[in-house]
Amino acid sequence: MRRRMKTCITFLGLLLLSCAVACNEQQTHAAASGAPPAIGIPVGPVPGPKVALNLPANPYANDQVALTEGRRLFVWYNCSGCHGGHGGGGMGPSLRDPVWVYGSSDAHIFASIAEGRGMGMPAWGTKVPEDQIWKLVAYIKSMRTPQEPDPPIVAQEPQVKRPGP
Amino acid sequence: MRERMQRFVLAIGCLLSLLVPALAQSGSTTTIPGQIPSIHFVSPVPDGEWTLPAGDYANTRFSPLDQINTKNVSSLKIIGTMSTGIPHGHEGQPLVVNGTLYVVTPFPNDLIALDLSKPGFPMKWKYEPRPDPKAQGVACCDTVNRGASYGDGKIVYATLDNHIVAVDANTGKEVWRTLVGDIDIGETTTGAPLIVKNVVITGDSGGEMGVRGKVVGLDLKTGRVLWTAYSTGPDKDVLIGPDFKAFYKKDQGKDLGVSSWPTDAWKIGGGPVWGWISYDPETDLVFYGTGNPGPWNPDMRPGDNKWTITIFARKPETGEAKWAVQLVPHDAWDYDEIMENIAVDMNWHGQMRKLLIHPGRTGYVFVLDRETGEILSAEKFQPVNWSKGYDLKTGLPDVDPAKVTHTGVNARQVCPSSTGGKEFVPSALSPRTGFLYIPAHNTCMDHESIQANYIAGTPFLGSSTTMYRGPGGYQGELLAWDVANAKPVWGIKETDFPVYSGVLATGGDLVFYGTMDGWFRAVDARSGTVLWQTKLASGIVGDPITFKGPDGRQYVAIYAGIGGWMGAAALPSISIDDPYAALGITGAMKKIKQVTGPGDLLYVFGL
Repeated sequence: MRRRMKTCITFLGLLLLSCAVACNEQQTHAAASGAPPAIGIPVGPVPGPKVALNLPANPYANDQVALTEGRRLFVWYNCSGCHGGHGGGGMGPSLRDPVWVYGSSDAHIFASIAEGRGMGMPAWGTKVPEDQIWKLVAYIKSMRTPQEPDPPIVAQEPQVKRPGP
Repeated sequence: MRERMQRFVLAIGCLLSLLVPALAQSGSTTTIPGQIPSIHFVSPVPDGEWTLPAGDYANTRFSPLDQINTKNVSSLKIIGTMSTGIPHGHEGQPLVVNGTLYVVTPFPNDLIALDLSKPGFPMKWKYEPRPDPKAQGVACCDTVNRGASYGDGKIVYATLDNHIVAVDANTGKEVWRTLVGDIDIGETTTGAPLIVKNVVITGDSGGEMGVRGKVVGLDLKTGRVLWTAYSTGPDKDVLIGPDFKAFYKKDQGKDLGVSSWPTDAWKIGGGPVWGWISYDPETDLVFYGTGNPGPWNPDMRPGDNKWTITIFARKPETGEAKWAVQLVPHDAWDYDEIMENIAVDMNWHGQMRKLLIHPGRTGYVFVLDRETGEILSAEKFQPVNWSKGYDLKTGLPDVDPAKVTHTGVNARQVCPSSTGGKEFVPSALSPRTGFLYIPAHNTCMDHESIQANYIAGTPFLGSSTTMYRGPGGYQGELLAWDVANAKPVWGIKETDFPVYSGVLATGGDLVFYGTMDGWFRAVDARSGTVLWQTKLASGIVGDPITFKGPDGRQYVAIYAGIGGWMGAAALPSISIDDPYAALGITGAMKKIKQVTGPGDLLYVFGL
């Protein structure tokens, strides 16, 4: 019994020691580079004290020409086939609504397009140039705003003539 | 002595309890009391269990059970419920085999076994195949599944990521699994397999994704692929050989699956087989229809685009095609004709004939000779204006060119819309009335073609479509159709939504079906009077079944869980303010979110 206890304590000690070494190593590393640890574009919450994320901004935000180009690319790359002709959803979720599972910032939407998502969103980063992805982001963010190019028109139900025999 | 006696009684009791369910449930029968003499059913119908998707091989969805009938249906009540926990479209139907009810859920396609011998129908086991979550991103119309088939002690069905799985019906252990498709090129599998003579026959989905449609036959024992019959390409791939004989000239010739397409377009030309498969033991033929050609834009694929939108008759063991008839050459409307093909012998214009009845998305009820593929009749059952009618001599529709879309040309007020005069949801045929009960749609569309780009694993459409309610102030109808006289008898109309559930007809002269706003109804099969209805927790897009429990009593089961293509408008991931969302259906479904929400329930009703 006592022996088992001893083993256990030794094991715990080793564990603590290795942890201390690891933590120390990380500290040293961060201090050496002089920069906060790279965290990319996090989708989940970032634990610990608040850290400024410094996410990249969209170079085409509010650029009406880029929005129109983004609209064209949205159809061209078949985004419209999955997310709806004007982003209302279908095989993929609506982009018009306020729900953003993977983050709503320009950078997050960029990452969703470039890296893909596990429910079936393809990773377009190797297929679509970066500037085109930013234009797509600009178009998507414009949906339901006065800036949206080619917005969907919800027509009144037409009076369909009864087809002849 | 007494103890021994007790033991003896106990043993007898045990034996009886084993025997009684078997007796009470039995399986199927060819004896149908009250059937009209001019109709002959060619395969046994279920009068206890429900072992195949449609109950029988012939796809009649008729059961002679009559404990629940026009006189007592008003006292029908809920006996059991179960939540699957998956708030997506619950299409298809459960199976009932040997005192157990089996539910296949939408993605992730769990198989749940419920014990019908115990009160409340507790769960026996759950099998979880864990398909690839990425499959959800290539499924065109919600993450649905249309059910399983039973054979040789196994429940066999497909997962969304294209695995066909066979599960031991007693233990819930996987017996085999076979991969038959690739989600990275847009293939999914949502249809229910049919088991015929130790062959599992199943097709693919993905007509909106540039797939190459196909049907696969697998060995029920091992899961080994025995044959693959493509819907496009050279004859050797379509399994068209020396025994093939097309009735119409337009369907005769070598390698039409190649020559009726621009170079290589057949390789991504669609024609998936995601609907119902039927079988006729008398002619030993399997029947199914193929889906739309891809892309939707017809200008991008000059030619007849064979063998899309075609009904095939094949031999079950080898897959060899016996005949084929293309119902719509060079489709411009997305009129998949994957609907049920009901095999029945009937008096047709004074002569008993082997018929195949196909109520279609095109808005016509087709009656074919199932030995040859000849179209004997094609009559409109809902407003149709894309064509004036069918020439039965040539087998060709008389198309209105004004209703054909072209690149940059918006064909307006086309009826029916892509969703059809009816969708895949199956009809039922009663041999007691001679009526076909059709879950019908009256939706029309504006349909504009645009350039489509093929990018593997993404939609290949080239279409900008909006839909809306058709003429007459209604959008759905349960329609009783007199098959012999090719005319409607009665209908129950729905103002705002299509009828998107399957139909069941019974020996109690009842017709069961559900509505998208959640009403589950029993209707008098002869008069169309609604005799009973109850509001379920979610819209109904599944198919009702009926069975006899181990207690010898008749039950009726149905899913309530809105979803699928048109039903997806009820899901939170679709915004109604984009009428082009979900391939254009949202305009026709504007009110759905106000009347129902996602659900995940099985209901079992009894007296």
